Amino acid sequence: MRRWLPSALAALALAGTAGGARAQERSVTLWHAYGEEEAAGLRRALDTFRREHADTRVDVVHNAFGAYASKLESAIPTGHGPDVFIDAHERLSVYVELGLVEAMDPPDFATRLDFFGAHLQALEVDNALYGLPLAVKCAALYLNEDHVTDTPRSLEDVERLRGDLPEGVWPLVYEAESAYWDAALLHAYGGALVDEDGAWAFEGPGAETMLAHVVRLTREGVVPEEPNGDLVRQLFASGQAASAISGPWLAPALPSDLRWRVVPLPRVEGAGGAPMRPYVTVEGVMLASGARDRALAQELMQFLAGAEGSLPRAVTGRQVVASRTAWEDPRIADDVFLGTFRRAADAGRIMSTHPHQRMAFEPAEKAIRKVIRGDVGAGAALAEAHRRFDNVTRPPPPERSPTMAVIAVGLLLFLACLWLVRRAQSAQVRAEVRASLPAYKYVAHAFVAVGVLVIAPLLVGAGASFFGGRGTDMHYVGLANYADIITAAGGGILDHGSFWLTLLVTVLWTALNVILHVVIGVALALVLHRPTMKLKAPYRVLLILPWAVPNYVTALSWKGMFHRQFGAMNAILEGLGAEPVSWFGQWSTAFGANVATNVWLGFPFMMVVTLGALSAIPKDLYEAAAVDGATAWQRFKLITLPLLKPMLAPAVAMGSIWTFNMFNVVFLVSGGEPDGSTEILVSEAYRWAFTRSSQYGYAAAYAVLIFGVLLLGTRRFAKRLDGMGDTA
Amino acid sequence: MASLHLSGIEKSLGGNLILRGIDLDVEDGQLVVLVGPSGCGKSTLLRTIAGLEAPNAGRIEIGGRDVTALAPRDRDIAMVFQSYALYPHMKVRANLAFGLKLRKADKKTISTRIKEVSEMLGLGPLLERYPRQLSGGQRQRVAMGRAIARRPAVFLFDEPLSNLDAALRSEVRVEIKRLHATLGATIVYVTHDQVEAMTLADRLVVLNEGIVEQVGAPLEVYQRPRSRFVAAFMGSPAMNFLSARVEKGRVTADGLDLPAPEGAAGGDVLVGIRPHDVSVAEGDAGGATLRVEVVEAMGFEAYAHGHVGGARFVARLEGADVKRLSVGDEIRLAIPGDAVHLFDPETEKAL
Repeated sequence: MRRWLPSALAALALAGTAGGARAQERSVTLWHAYGEEEAAGLRRALDTFRREHADTRVDVVHNAFGAYASKLESAIPTGHGPDVFIDAHERLSVYVELGLVEAMDPPDFATRLDFFGAHLQALEVDNALYGLPLAVKCAALYLNEDHVTDTPRSLEDVERLRGDLPEGVWPLVYEAESAYWDAALLHAYGGALVDEDGAWAFEGPGAETMLAHVVRLTREGVVPEEPNGDLVRQLFASGQAASAISGPWLAPALPSDLRWRVVPLPRVEGAGGAPMRPYVTVEGVMLASGARDRALAQELMQFLAGAEGSLPRAVTGRQVVASRTAWEDPRIADDVFLGTFRRAADAGRIMSTHPHQRMAFEPAEKAIRKVIRGDVGAGAALAEAHRRFDNVTRPPPPERSPTMAVIAVGLLLFLACLWLVRRAQSAQVRAEVRASLPAYKYVAHAFVAVGVLVIAPLLVGAGASFFGGRGTDMHYVGLANYADIITAAGGGILDHGSFWLTLLVTVLWTALNVILHVVIGVALALVLHRPTMKLKAPYRVLLILPWAVPNYVTALSWKGMFHRQFGAMNAILEGLGAEPVSWFGQWSTAFGANVATNVWLGFPFMMVVTLGALSAIPKDLYEAAAVDGATAWQRFKLITLPLLKPMLAPAVAMGSIWTFNMFNVVFLVSGGEPDGSTEILVSEAYRWAFTRSSQYGYAAAYAVLIFGVLLLGTRRFAKRLDGMGDTA
Repeated sequence: MASLHLSGIEKSLGGNLILRGIDLDVEDGQLVVLVGPSGCGKSTLLRTIAGLEAPNAGRIEIGGRDVTALAPRDRDIAMVFQSYALYPHMKVRANLAFGLKLRKADKKTISTRIKEVSEMLGLGPLLERYPRQLSGGQRQRVAMGRAIARRPAVFLFDEPLSNLDAALRSEVRVEIKRLHATLGATIVYVTHDQVEAMTLADRLVVLNEGIVEQVGAPLEVYQRPRSRFVAAFMGSPAMNFLSARVEKGRVTADGLDLPAPEGAAGGDVLVGIRPHDVSVAEGDAGGATLRVEVVEAMGFEAYAHGHVGGARFVARLEGADVKRLSVGDEIRLAIPGDAVHLFDPETEKAL
């Protein structure tokens, strides 16, 4: 018996040390949203870290860029987030507001010296440092060496390329309608979007001159119209642009047989030779709230940001690293590409972290687009943008005491309980309830499911509408949100962005769409229903396809078709000898584009419903009518239509509600253009919640109002339905 | 009102030849019943007359007018469907007025006709109701009213009583007969029910597999069937058939010995005897011996099922006769001369 004792003890000891070792292993989780190249650089840096820290585990999670912010927002508070994560500095203020990050221990002097003061400042809020700079990003000028040999010294030099270039090649491509990209030009003219205190600064002579310059670039055919990031990339990569303004992410997307180089953005002669100063983004590694091992997390941060971690990120990841020591290494210092972007960043302006900075883009872009379209002069557009900005940044309604509301709700609940008790006292009611108890058992789980999935979120959303403020900083405001919306505070009743105007547009949108859906759907169903129709089955499948394809795919395709210069619609028009149309330039055509897309999406539903309804009409009714003397048209009008109506009614009701809330088409096709005039209520609500900086309460009030409108509408419709009488 | 004339009507449906050359004459004011088993083509024939089907060959004339190529609405006909086919989204009044409105009749005419028809059929209290609020019988009357309001040249009835219960059926049957007498209309009536056929028809047309087996007054078709099919189809229970021989003026078979009708040729025959034509014989008289196997007693009458010789036989007996009968008994049946129908065993035509 004693012979196994030493082995048992040994086993125990081994287990103990192993467990202890595991207990001693430290781990840290890092999140990022890098593209391929940068992720590879990061990986190499982390491999070095792991080699040097044998007892630590580093977990890396890559996220898709689009959903990154929301994932952080939902994961960190619930403890499922990273310990450290990499993100752009301009989002830091929001993260601080939302409590997603915590301040670092103040770094030592050596660490501080390794970075430029401005870069460190970018990661500070209220004098607390939340992260360390990893790299800087900004725009530079890409040159196609086949079209441009000498580096242009000014923007006007680039403009002058026009006329010397082959047919179909643009002198310059960049997102000229974007406030972010035009900011480089704006800063050259001495203007800015917002100042350091977050006040609106996009007006005055600097802004107006910049606008005039951009208009000139567009009108004189220097830059293409309606540009977007994809278009810029496509045109430059295919050699159809002599130059492009873009960030370092353009480089990996260019084909290897394209001869190109990068230079910092040129000067502007019209601004007295001042250089274009693009926005600079400082990418940093930030410390997340609730990091498990603060010491280890900060160790990782310092490693990544320092020279050792920066080298692989620069060489493999092609990042313009922030560490000054790293730049002493010849592999980085001699790199022309990295050096150019560093010089570009030196000349740029680090984007302000003030929350108002992010809210300035939407109004600024609307103004830029308006001026390019020629709707108004620069002065008026800027004034309108200022008004919009004030509307979006206006402080939330003052906090109110919820006492009254709590008392009222409490009273209502109390009365409801009283009423229930009174009813329960009636023997008849008790008997009825007892008799239906088994039924309740059958339905109970459905109640629970509906309650949790539908009712509860509805109530929470409605409840949120009584709160004002941003992000997590919300306070009770009573009915102030509703009052603001209904009185169109911040503008006139029928101004752009006003609830009432948007409601009008939404009602018109719904009516037009539903009418077209029904007419086209019914007509096609009648054609498909004929017994003599051959190939019914393939046609049915083909005609259902528009409905089957995910509607955002369709929306994006149609949007592309309506592009002013490169879209299929204008190509067809030009082929027919007509003038190309600027589809998103005026309300009527933008609205029409939205309607066309949505009709394409929606008619199959009506067609399918009608086909079913047609099959339900007995054949001998038609025969009786034929014998009674009805022609084919009379049979349609007097038999088919009246019998279709009650069967179509629910489909029309549903279709109306879906169309009323059709966010995808409006957001993706016209995007509200021109100037927010084609927005419908849901897309407006979305913007309030998600692009105008988390004004959830306001957006919730919008949503409740939408619900109210729809409720009213469908009740009136249902009353009319009852009046129609059903058929046997 | 008008006459109806069909000649050489042929019709195929889905590759099958349904009507194989139908000739028919209906005089003005006659009620002609098309009767036959399921699938004999009677409904198809009716629909062809209506214009709802186009014949592959043949002519249709209504009131002397060739309507073969005309649409139903131009043939001046009205049809009462088996399923009534009332317009569910219109009230009864609108249903009645439908055809008239389509022909652009003026308001006065419409309201007068509706009044007439309502009185005729008792539809007054029903005028403001929807079809779904009516009973089967009421819907049937509205369907008839709709046809009558039009005052067409020819009425077509497609098994209108099939969807009614038995009691209602008899009631409405009588009403139809009364209506026919009142209106004096030309009616083509399709049914598979012999009772309707016998009681309603001025002339009976028996159809089988797309051809006309026999045309004639109901009584004539019943008493002098020209083929085994007609003989078997009309009358319930069906006629009994026995294989027999005609020899020396007598028709003989196992258990059967009857005097042959005048002029009957010798040889093998098929003998048809209706159950209703026999009675219990006195003593040893009678022409047939029935070995009783099953007795169905209905009170005032009874059916005795059994065999005469090797052939199955049903006899209708008086209620009183049956009291003394039991299974296994043999009874003598008296069969009068005109109850004996002879058919050629091969052609199955009457001799």
